[in-house]
Amino acid sequence: MAIAVFVVAALMAIAGGIGVITFHQPIRSVLSLVLVMLALSVLFLLLSAQFVFVVQIIVYAGAVMVLFLFVIALLGPARESGRGRLRFQAGLSGLFAVALFGLIYAMLQGVQYRQPEKTDLNVFGTVQSIAAGLFTTYLYPFELTSVLLLVAAIGAIYLSRRDER
Amino acid sequence: MGTFDIGGSQMDVSWFLLLAAVLFTLGAVGVLVRRNPLIILISIELMLNAVNLTLVAFSRQLGNLEGQLFALMTMTVAAAEAVVGLAILVDIFRTRDLEDIDDLSELKG
Repeated sequence: MAIAVFVVAALMAIAGGIGVITFHQPIRSVLSLVLVMLALSVLFLLLSAQFVFVVQIIVYAGAVMVLFLFVIALLGPARESGRGRLRFQAGLSGLFAVALFGLIYAMLQGVQYRQPEKTDLNVFGTVQSIAAGLFTTYLYPFELTSVLLLVAAIGAIYLSRRDER
Repeated sequence: MGTFDIGGSQMDVSWFLLLAAVLFTLGAVGVLVRRNPLIILISIELMLNAVNLTLVAFSRQLGNLEGQLFALMTMTVAAAEAVVGLAILVDIFRTRDLEDIDDLSELKG
């Protein structure tokens, strides 16, 4: 059962990923990316990461993608000039893709897995266990991300001011 | 060693890693091939998502929550990156008609 769920979600994710890089209308690329994110959220649930699943749907598929859609609606239909200025760009990209995937695949063949730790899967990935990690061991990085978000918000407001600067 | 049990069926963590590798490669190809800056940003988001999948898969295989915490951090960084990237893009599109990411080559020496 779990294997069937994995196969369906993986095929959805790969189809969406191909859609992201092949559609010419940006809005279709964004909707393909939403498909990828929903498929990945299913996989997160399969990996008993409940909180990451919820955050993936609300923050990623919800907020970030709506932001992309707003920007596309603001900028209007995109014109993409078909040719690149670099010669052999498509061929070089294909070569790079094959090399990158080959390297990752070769790495995966020899990977040594550590012995799993003994954990209670009933509480694994719940909000309580995530919060316990986030507010004890990783409190400092967690506070730093709030500073990062503040900086991003201020930067976005500054960049989108309408007056002359 | 890399296997774990989900609902009675044995799953291997390498399946998830392979899927993440495929998605990451697709995102990298999108960054290299596409000319539209918006689609390049979308491809970067795709790569970040692929990395999140590896983090969560390793977290499940090791029975250690730290991978999920790092995935949450990645999501925060991705959100900040999308916000600033889109703001820069809107600002560029306001002052000029951009057809190609290579039109932005003033900084080239």
